[in-house]
Amino acid sequence: MEVSHHVPAVLYLFALIAVVIFIYNLRRFLAIRIGKSDPDYKIKIIPAIFNLFYFGILQRRVFRKSFSYASIMHFFIGFGFFILLFATTVDFFVARGWFVSYLPHLDTPWFALLNDTGGMMALIGILMALFRRHINKPKSLPQDAFKGRGNLFGDSGVLLYILLLIFGGFLSEAARLAVDVQSSIAQYSWVGYRISFLFSSETWSALEPYLWWSHALLSFLAIAFLPNTKIFHAIISTINIALTDRDLRGKVKPMFVSKLMEDPDMDVDEISLGSTKLEDFTWKQLLDSIACTECGRCTNVCPAYNTDKPLSPMKIITDIRHELYGKYLNKKEVNGIVGNPITETELWSCTTCGACMEECPVLINHIPTFTDMRRYLVLSEGKPHPQAAESLEKTMNTGNPWGFSKSERTKWAKDAGIELPLMSEKKEADVLYWVGCAGSYDPRNQKVAKAMVKILEAANIDYAVLGNEESCTGDSARRLGEEYLFETMALQNIETLNKYKFNRIITPCPHCFHTIGNEYGDFDGNYKVQHHSQFIMELIDSGKLKLNKYLDSKITYHDACYLGRHNGEYQAPRKVISSVLKNGKLIEMERNKANSFCCGGGGGNMWYDIEDGERINSVRFQEAIDTGVDIVATACSFCTIMMDDALKVKGKEDSMQVLDIAEMVATAL
Amino acid sequence: MKIGVLVKQVASGESPLRIDTSGKWVVEESIDFTTNESDSYALEEALQIIERSGGAGEVVVISMCPAERTPKIIREALAKGGHRAIHIQEEAPYETDPFMVASIFAEALKDESFDLILSGLQSDDLGSGQTGVILGELLGMSTATLVMGVELQKGKLRVKRELESGWFQWVTLPFPACITIQSGLNQPRYPSLKGIMGAKKKEIKSIAKSDVKGSGTPMQEFSRMYTHKAEKRTEMIEGSTDQIVDRMIDIFKKNIKVI
Ligand SMILES: Cc1cc2nc3c(=O)[nH]c(=O)nc-3n(C[C@H](O)[C@H](O)[C@H](O)COP(=O)(O)OP(=O)(O)OC[C@H]3O[C@@H](n4cnc5c(N)ncnc54)[C@H](O)[C@@H]3O)c2cc1C
Ligand code: SF4
Ligand code: SF4
Repeated sequence: MEVSHHVPAVLYLFALIAVVIFIYNLRRFLAIRIGKSDPDYKIKIIPAIFNLFYFGILQRRVFRKSFSYASIMHFFIGFGFFILLFATTVDFFVARGWFVSYLPHLDTPWFALLNDTGGMMALIGILMALFRRHINKPKSLPQDAFKGRGNLFGDSGVLLYILLLIFGGFLSEAARLAVDVQSSIAQYSWVGYRISFLFSSETWSALEPYLWWSHALLSFLAIAFLPNTKIFHAIISTINIALTDRDLRGKVKPMFVSKLMEDPDMDVDEISLGSTKLEDFTWKQLLDSIACTECGRCTNVCPAYNTDKPLSPMKIITDIRHELYGKYLNKKEVNGIVGNPITETELWSCTTCGACMEECPVLINHIPTFTDMRRYLVLSEGKPHPQAAESLEKTMNTGNPWGFSKSERTKWAKDAGIELPLMSEKKEADVLYWVGCAGSYDPRNQKVAKAMVKILEAANIDYAVLGNEESCTGDSARRLGEEYLFETMALQNIETLNKYKFNRIITPCPHCFHTIGNEYGDFDGNYKVQHHSQFIMELIDSGKLKLNKYLDSKITYHDACYLGRHNGEYQAPRKVISSVLKNGKLIEMERNKANSFCCGGGGGNMWYDIEDGERINSVRFQEAIDTGVDIVATACSFCTIMMDDALKVKGKEDSMQVLDIAEMVATAL
Repeated sequence: MKIGVLVKQVASGESPLRIDTSGKWVVEESIDFTTNESDSYALEEALQIIERSGGAGEVVVISMCPAERTPKIIREALAKGGHRAIHIQEEAPYETDPFMVASIFAEALKDESFDLILSGLQSDDLGSGQTGVILGELLGMSTATLVMGVELQKGKLRVKRELESGWFQWVTLPFPACITIQSGLNQPRYPSLKGIMGAKKKEIKSIAKSDVKGSGTPMQEFSRMYTHKAEKRTEMIEGSTDQIVDRMIDIFKKNIKVI
């Protein structure tokens, strides 16, 4: 596009000024210094380089759902600018005579072609973006297109500016082509070349200096103020992408409350529990907020947002940025952000399903940040959601969120005439079967627990349960920000588990699976944990479990967030289902695997209702109904309850069934 | 304002109840203990009264129970904001006569000179609903039961009492007063971790029940304890529609007593 090989010296002065202003404006980046240090954070070079390449340059997440409007649009803008950046840099070198023998220049046909193609791509992308922001207007995007949250001129202001830059570029290129030689190469600059025919070469030559200078100055202005605008994301989001540790994805940090409580020097009034002040967040959490591109992808997939609950993950992330810039750049006094601008209901609406994190193109870690703010509400303010408070108190008193008696944890088995082998008697077993609170007390899940026993017996497994010694893992408590209760439960369970010898723990509940398997390790509880889908699949594969293929129905599988997105297990439950299908068929719902839509029960939402909007489980169940199946298969205690409820609400008791995969396997024995 | 709140530890509603060998008490091993429901509301009301009057004053948590199991509910009450606690430690057999319970409290608390004592309406285990009122009378305080709302007036207390059939009554009492609180008048708070940490430094004064000379002699005793029996019975009703309806009404009135 625009290039001149005769660079006047004064241009260097402008360039220098632009760079100085750019650097000055970059200081907003330093706002993250307000955040806490994070002693657990270690930069990992290889993953950082991988992230940079795969998620940064290749923008893998932008193209996650292959050809969406937004991804094509971003492809044009992003790669158009990559090309222009490359071309401009090369040209800058060539103009100075640096590395000339290695570089192509504008007289090289492919380079000229590439250059104009880049410009054209960016132009198309920008027009698509303007269309999206003003005609299409998805409701998850910031509605005022000219106001960004902490971004100068909002989205559209910047888009229009870039449009001006691109037009200016093409025009000065046309002028150059008209004024300079009309060589045979010129036609490869296919856009500028055609524009050059609009006027006579005399007109072009009169216009050329104006065009060239205005384009140069507009470009410098753009560089100088880039950090203040949305375009900053090209830099800051790339840095964030490199620095995000994907192994810590969604992992909430332990607070080690019991150690804290033993500390004699601890000052209750001074200590901050959870996050509300900007200083309470880690630098990486603040960097996340600055890196948000306001693309709205997280909000688009959020089950709470999609059922009209007052939550948009993007809004929360950008609220943090807005307050951060307010404090750092404008010296605004920010005492706490929980309450205002981030409301309690917003925070309680999150089911910690992880869809936002799966979707975010710049690898922002929403859940731990949201959990930290919930921690503030519960641990500092004593303000959990009122309905959740009840089940938290019950968990504290009885070791299960339903509040049933500790001493009746195995009543389900006794009532069914099952003699459960107890760890307290056996002391040692190959498999420790972790029944979980739902399996122990919830009538619907007791059926799953019985099916599990049937499977264990049929496969001749040496197993035992903890019985009355088992307690809630503390999953709901932890997601709800009640870290003290979580830790109490965790430490108690670890002490119990460590009394016995076993090779692995199996559990039908992905929440127990996740909590014991991924989180107890922080408290020296290291066990091999398998979800029942994985365990059953192994038994089938090894021939220990012989199944009659009996199912003739159409069936769909609802992915549990804590099995799928949080632990990457999509195959095992599907394989288990396939192994009982005779003439039946497994039909996928529209949203499945990593794109699955939550049942609404995670993150503690099992224990309270957010009044607004539709019920999440109803929306999900409707999706199952739309596939025309007879059976909705689940592999999670909460999903089973939520889907079963929705089945009743939708009045489908007579035509459809919700079954845990263990129940299907037990029937096939 | 100096407020005393009586909190009792009772078996949680879901605890399985089995009668012990004496036949007069339940097997405690299988019980999950928790704070008596209306006492949680009484504590919340006390904390709110102090907050409403600008934070000046003190909420003293008072409980009588065995040494080993009460501290949990006392600590919880302190974590929620109680300033200090008095724990009257008792050994089995526990005091079950409300007059005796109240006399012991009266003796232990007489030097505290509370402006206000709040108790729950009745305990979820024995449910006689008298301890608070008797205590008030023994300490020469004005009393009101079944309180659904509390207003502080100049030197006076105005309370809303629940009557039958959705009727309420407003009563004005002079201080010192002792009132029994009905569940549901507020939203009891959740103990924050900050509160729990702070509670560790708060004073819990322990007194042995045997050191408190109750003035009374027991007026009632437990001769035997029974658990309710759950039973399924089916009766096929035959006849004309009128006969069936008559029989059903009869069953509702006499057997299951729901109308
Ligand atoms: C409106 C009303 C209608 C009623 N109708 C009937 C009826 O029709 N038929 C019927 O049979 N009964 C009825 N009752 C119940 C009956 O009146 C009760 O038996 C009686 O009121 C006595 O209760 P109580 O002494 O056991 O209470 P308590 O068990 O003594 O408890 C009252 C409160 O005292 C405090 N307290 C007690 N012990 C301790 C302790 N150890 N430590 C700390 N605090 C403690 C707690 O705050 C507790 O909440 C009714 C009661 C009411 C209020
Ligand atoms: S975790 Fe799920 S519910 Fe929570 S904000 Fe993200 S998408 Fe929404
Ligand atoms: S948090 Fe991520 S997905 Fe959500 S708007 Fe920001 S950049 Fe987009």
